[in-house]
Amino acid sequence: MKIASILFAVAMLAGSAQAADLTVAVRGPDGKPIPDAVITVYPNGQPTKGPIKFDWPYRVAQQNIQFTPFVLIVPAGAEVSFPNLDKVRHHVYSFSAGNKFELKLYGHEESRTVRLPAVGIAAIGCNIHDQMVGFIKVVDTAYAAKSDANGVAVIHGLPDGPVVAKVWHPYLRAPKNEKTLAVTAVRGAARETATIELRPGGR
Amino acid sequence: MFRRLQTKLTVLYAGLFALALSLVAVSVYLTIANNAQQQVRRELTATGTVFDSVWALRTQRLRDGADLLARDFGFRAAVATRDAPTVESAVTNLRQRMGLDLAFLVGVDGDVVGVDPAKVDIDKLWSALDHEERAQGVFIVDGAPYQLISAPVMSPNLTGWIVFGARLDDREMTALERLSAIRLDAQVFDRRGETWVTTDKTADTGALGAVVATAMRQATAEPARLRTATGDSLVLVKRLMTLDGQTPAALVLRYPMALALAPYQPLMAAVIIAGLIGAALVVAASWALSRDIARPITALEAAARRLRHGEAAHVDVRSSDEIGRLSDSFNLMAAEIREREVRITELALRDAETGLPNHLAMEREIEARMARLAPGQQVVVAALGLDRFTVLRSAIGYALFTQLVREIGARIQVLDPEAVVGRLTTSTLCVISRLTALTDEVVPVVERALVDLAAPVRLGNELVDVHMSNGLAAAEAGGLDAPRLIEQAMIALDQARACGRKVAIFDPVAYGDPAGNLSLMSEMLQGVATGALFLHHQPKLDLRTGAITGVEALVRWNHPARGLLRPDLFVGMAEETGHIRALTDCVIDRAILDQRALRDLGHDLTISINISGRLIDDAEFADRAIEKIAASGARFCFEITETAVIGNPDVALGVLAKLNAAGIPVSIDDYGSGLSSLAYLKQINADELKIDKAFVLSLENDAKDALLVKSTIDLAHSLGLKVTAEGVESREALAMLQMMGCDLAQGYHIAKPMALEALVAFLGEQRLAETSAPAKARRRAR
Repeated sequence: MKIASILFAVAMLAGSAQAADLTVAVRGPDGKPIPDAVITVYPNGQPTKGPIKFDWPYRVAQQNIQFTPFVLIVPAGAEVSFPNLDKVRHHVYSFSAGNKFELKLYGHEESRTVRLPAVGIAAIGCNIHDQMVGFIKVVDTAYAAKSDANGVAVIHGLPDGPVVAKVWHPYLRAPKNEKTLAVTAVRGAARETATIELRPGGR
Repeated sequence: MFRRLQTKLTVLYAGLFALALSLVAVSVYLTIANNAQQQVRRELTATGTVFDSVWALRTQRLRDGADLLARDFGFRAAVATRDAPTVESAVTNLRQRMGLDLAFLVGVDGDVVGVDPAKVDIDKLWSALDHEERAQGVFIVDGAPYQLISAPVMSPNLTGWIVFGARLDDREMTALERLSAIRLDAQVFDRRGETWVTTDKTADTGALGAVVATAMRQATAEPARLRTATGDSLVLVKRLMTLDGQTPAALVLRYPMALALAPYQPLMAAVIIAGLIGAALVVAASWALSRDIARPITALEAAARRLRHGEAAHVDVRSSDEIGRLSDSFNLMAAEIREREVRITELALRDAETGLPNHLAMEREIEARMARLAPGQQVVVAALGLDRFTVLRSAIGYALFTQLVREIGARIQVLDPEAVVGRLTTSTLCVISRLTALTDEVVPVVERALVDLAAPVRLGNELVDVHMSNGLAAAEAGGLDAPRLIEQAMIALDQARACGRKVAIFDPVAYGDPAGNLSLMSEMLQGVATGALFLHHQPKLDLRTGAITGVEALVRWNHPARGLLRPDLFVGMAEETGHIRALTDCVIDRAILDQRALRDLGHDLTISINISGRLIDDAEFADRAIEKIAASGARFCFEITETAVIGNPDVALGVLAKLNAAGIPVSIDDYGSGLSSLAYLKQINADELKIDKAFVLSLENDAKDALLVKSTIDLAHSLGLKVTAEGVESREALAMLQMMGCDLAQGYHIAKPMALEALVAFLGEQRLAETSAPAKARRRAR
């Protein structure tokens, strides 16, 4: 609650204008909702100055030989914890530029923390278990959200005015797996649909 | 087609055998070729399957290697961190370890590590890799086909693809070829544009490319047949998976048919050699067999030909089969034919009654002698005729007569053993003598011989007198043929008899030319039409007045080719051949014209016309002549030869009566010669009698003739006939006839027969003489 009230205050302070909500529905070419797509919005096309804090934990657990969540949004420089909830040990690594790290074998109920300094991607895998893949989207804007199981991502408290909105997905068939959305300005409750194509087979 | 039976049989047998052998050889070849092809097809298909396995195995091996590398943590780290040197060294390391031709990395951003980017179509490769997770297949690298295997490099997301390649080169193909049971030829084709190419160039790559194109289009799994200049091949085309799925590639397995057939070549050669040896044996055997069959037939044929030519024909065939029996029959037949021929020849050449050679035999003998004659020599033939043979034969009978002829033949043979004696007719023998020339000296020799021959012949108990005449003729080789020579001898015999001689040589002048005479008649009829026939007139002197009171018209013929012809040559012939009527008509017409011409000149003469005895009984002729004479007012006298009346006396007497009634005087010509009889004189109501010149010619020398003439004149006068003497050739004869009281005279002494113009001149002379008394007195005195 404390954090929320602070945020609220910041929002009040920052936004001389009225606040707006952008709801983005992410769909495939076949119209099916696509979860785990990351929407980032840059009001006036500018990254957010100052520290950014999201209201979800910066944590990627290893559970059932899977990374959970599959996609995590963190601000640049965030400390991300990797708790191992499995009985087996994992060897988590990322070769992503700027966010390279390697958490050598650690066991059950153990946790490691990694700081991710670079804006971009940290593609994480386990050297032991090839099937384990996860992505951490490191952003430099406070307005970011991940589509839910219905493919809907809602970004609250956007200042009215021009925006640059992008959609990213680990398998999105586009350079850097990212596409700019059509929306250029928001006012009040804006709705947008992002249609994206994914590479088959999850690559 | 075949002139010889042997050739025919040989060709037939050998041909049949050769045909059968050819069929066997062809079917053997076809079976072998078919088998070989089937085998090659199976082998090709099997090799294709083997290739599939090899391909799969290698794919697996490459894939394993690629996967292994793609999962290597360090490698992934190097790839993800874009550590190109490390990546390249890792790739090279693995390539060498695995013995690969090619290994490289393709990044998701299109970067290539481990291979020269210029040698690879990056876009095509990237999209192929991107399109399929584990893309694999044939891909062209640096112009050569490679089998490429890819594996994604996940770190953990896709950062690139590790690609391994095995070159599909000759070495690879050779390895594949070694796997096959048959020595096939493997090549990889890939399509560049519209053409199919291969790195392994051979002479017939173009044709093979076309086959590949067809097979790929039709997607056939069956081997196809390729025909090239170097021989047929079976080609199996297997579609190869390509990396991008667009540029097709194919594995081409090829097997030359010649190689497939090679193992069977000894068999084929054996079949052919066996066939040739067999054919040669069949030819030899059928030649020998057919010779055995054909030889007797050939012999029979030759014998038959000899038989046809009348030669001895014996066939020597000893076999006991049908041909042997046929030969025996043939020999028997030939012998019988020869025998019969001899008998027939004998009969044909012998006179059946006397056994002497006959006419035909004599002709042959003459021909044979002529063939042997030296130049200038002649064959002399005598025709010996028994005189009065009918009388003789009636007297002694046929059988003895035949015996007589035979006896005379034997006598001739004794006289001249070299002579050949034959019988020509019942009474005529023919002798071909040894003489080689016929001259007049021969005649007395023959006459003496005839005396010996004519000695009385004893027939049974009687002696028979024989009289013979002999005609001789001769001819040189190339002169007359044998029948003509015999004919001439026969004519000579007739001529001898006609002359009353014992021996005569053929006289061609006396004989004339019978063939020419026949044509003479038709020419005479033409002469009648064209005026080539005309009259000569012989004046008749009236012995009482000394004047010419008449003429005898004598026909003359100026033949266009032969000149002036004697009347006795054609008149007698006209009588014989029935042309006398036309001739006499012509003479009457001429005489009418001539008499008219003479009258116009003031000479009034009776013209005497000779009427052949054959016309006297021709009432129709007489009617027309009387009518013609009456119409023209002519004054004619018809002179008739007394012998003529005999033909049909009743008609003839009627004709004579008609002539009398018409006032045409009738004269009996040539009285005294021939069969003149007093009965004749009595019968015919004539006006004149002409004494034959035979009596008149010798009038002054022969007292008997003078007496006959005198008494004939008196007889005629007693019967009321005028008398004309013919053949007055001397003044003395004329004087004697005048003294005897003859009325008229005719002869060369008075005037020869002459043409109309000459007659007119002669009559003019006479008239002048008559007007002068001395001339008249002189004539009287003659």
